[in-house]
Amino acid sequence: MRTEGGGALRWALVGPTLLLLVAFNVFPLAYNVFLSFTNAELVGEGARSVGGANYARVFDDPLFAAALRRTALFVVVAVGVELVIGFGLALALKRDFRGKAFVLTTLLVPMMLSPAVMGLYWSLILNGNYGLLNQVLAGLGLGEPQWLTDRDLKFWSIVLVDVWMWTPFMMLIALAGLSSIPPSIYEAAAIDRAGAWTTFRRITLPLCAPLLGLAVLLRATDALKQFDLVMAITGPNDGGTQTLSALLYQIVFRDGKVGLGSAYAILVLVVVMALATVFTRYVDRLRGAEAVR
Amino acid sequence: MRLVRVLVLVVGFLCAGLPLAWMALSSVKERADTIAQHPKVLPFATTTPAPESLVFAPTTGSWSELAVVHAGAQASFWEHLGNSVLIGVLSTLCSVVLGTACAYGFSRFRVPGEKDWLFFVLSTRFMPPLAVVVPVLLMYRQLDLAGTHLGLVLLYTVFNLSLSVWLMKGFLDEIPRAFEEAAMVDGYTRAQAFVRVVLPEARTGMAVTAVFCLISAWNEYGFAMTLNSSGAVTVPAYFAGLAGNIEGMPWPQVAAGAIVFVAPIVVFTVLVRKHLLRGMTFGTIKQ
Repeated sequence: MRTEGGGALRWALVGPTLLLLVAFNVFPLAYNVFLSFTNAELVGEGARSVGGANYARVFDDPLFAAALRRTALFVVVAVGVELVIGFGLALALKRDFRGKAFVLTTLLVPMMLSPAVMGLYWSLILNGNYGLLNQVLAGLGLGEPQWLTDRDLKFWSIVLVDVWMWTPFMMLIALAGLSSIPPSIYEAAAIDRAGAWTTFRRITLPLCAPLLGLAVLLRATDALKQFDLVMAITGPNDGGTQTLSALLYQIVFRDGKVGLGSAYAILVLVVVMALATVFTRYVDRLRGAEAVR
Repeated sequence: MRLVRVLVLVVGFLCAGLPLAWMALSSVKERADTIAQHPKVLPFATTTPAPESLVFAPTTGSWSELAVVHAGAQASFWEHLGNSVLIGVLSTLCSVVLGTACAYGFSRFRVPGEKDWLFFVLSTRFMPPLAVVVPVLLMYRQLDLAGTHLGLVLLYTVFNLSLSVWLMKGFLDEIPRAFEEAAMVDGYTRAQAFVRVVLPEARTGMAVTAVFCLISAWNEYGFAMTLNSSGAVTVPAYFAGLAGNIEGMPWPQVAAGAIVFVAPIVVFTVLVRKHLLRGMTFGTIKQ
């Protein structure tokens, strides 16, 4: 493969994009670091340096620890459930049947929609008194849980809506994994009289694993930012559902404490960047493996 | 096994489709029927039905009321939709143009530090809006960009560059270099070869990239509500703003608006269904 140098042209092509990205990512990051050492507020001037006081406060703050734990729980449970259901749906969709294209497209629609708008609409469906879900549950004699107001249930309602939105994503990638397995392997397994479970555990699962890994990482970095659904379903300042992003919003935009919020933001960014690095490494390895094939 | 498969598919189909069908139904109800104790399922009533009846009288009132300015909002739904369209379309155009140029540079030339740059581009996608929005907001206030269309267009353009560069790089890598080389042997300059030979070949890729950029700008909420809370408010931020409304949520209008808002996305999903996998994974999976 011959690649020419290209001289000024190559920089004219890639330059504007890279400059914009640096301007909108590196500059705010540096500014964020600066702000995190001050007592800046959203309104008013005259921020003074406060040294590392903001960071000390963050580590002492039980709200931060709780939001961190809650976000971690959210990522693990939501992504885990989406993976299992999505994989199950993909297995059910493996064979062709009439109307498959229609069913598949309908199943995929939720992930393309706006979380803020759909979250708001789900709060009508989940309403304890007049929501559709409880009307159905009551009809089946299953009781009427207070999805939006019960302290212990609110968090799981948000997980539920997230699962509704993002299971299709897992299904889509699992389908790609399944269709990449050559049928000859299954034929060989059948000749060796491997049972259904053995075939699944020894062939289907390991051969889908690389793509599923990518899906899990992509979803996890996304779930880590969870904000839209929390805002739509309970608001940012709810003790039962406050994720890291919701806490950040509360501190900066409701309490107006920009300095403190910036210190929080830096700590969140450290976590996100760690995960993003894992993701890009994974993509790099996956692509390397493809090139060899 | 067959039974399990059918059951899984039926339940999955209903879970995905029912909330959307319910939304369509809610949009032709009176507000009282959307928050009735008994579910109102059948839009066939001609007289006033009993409270526990499943039947309700359909109305198109909510659709005409999309033009009404509700308490707690500054403008009608249509005006906010106009903001969403303007911001979405302009930022998509910018992202696709810049992203295609950048991807072409990375695809055909040797750029120093190419791999590091590409992964830097990808990693910008992972920034949580709430963690970077404060410096952007302070910067925008200095430049008078907060609450303007231009501010969000600029931000969404940058936000979507990661998607656009990675998707277009995948599509451009698939176009044989021999095409341009042949054109250049025929006396085209590199720029002419790019415009007359490569771009026509990359049409599908650019359309798919545009759809994914548009959808992510269309659905974005975190930046929209924090930067544009007072001017050029997009639809997701507008709907969220109605939640604090003292008159209570105007559910039928929200349902009608949500249908108008998500309908184009559903159409686009159908149009790009063959490329969904690629679009949703930044082109890292190609099939």
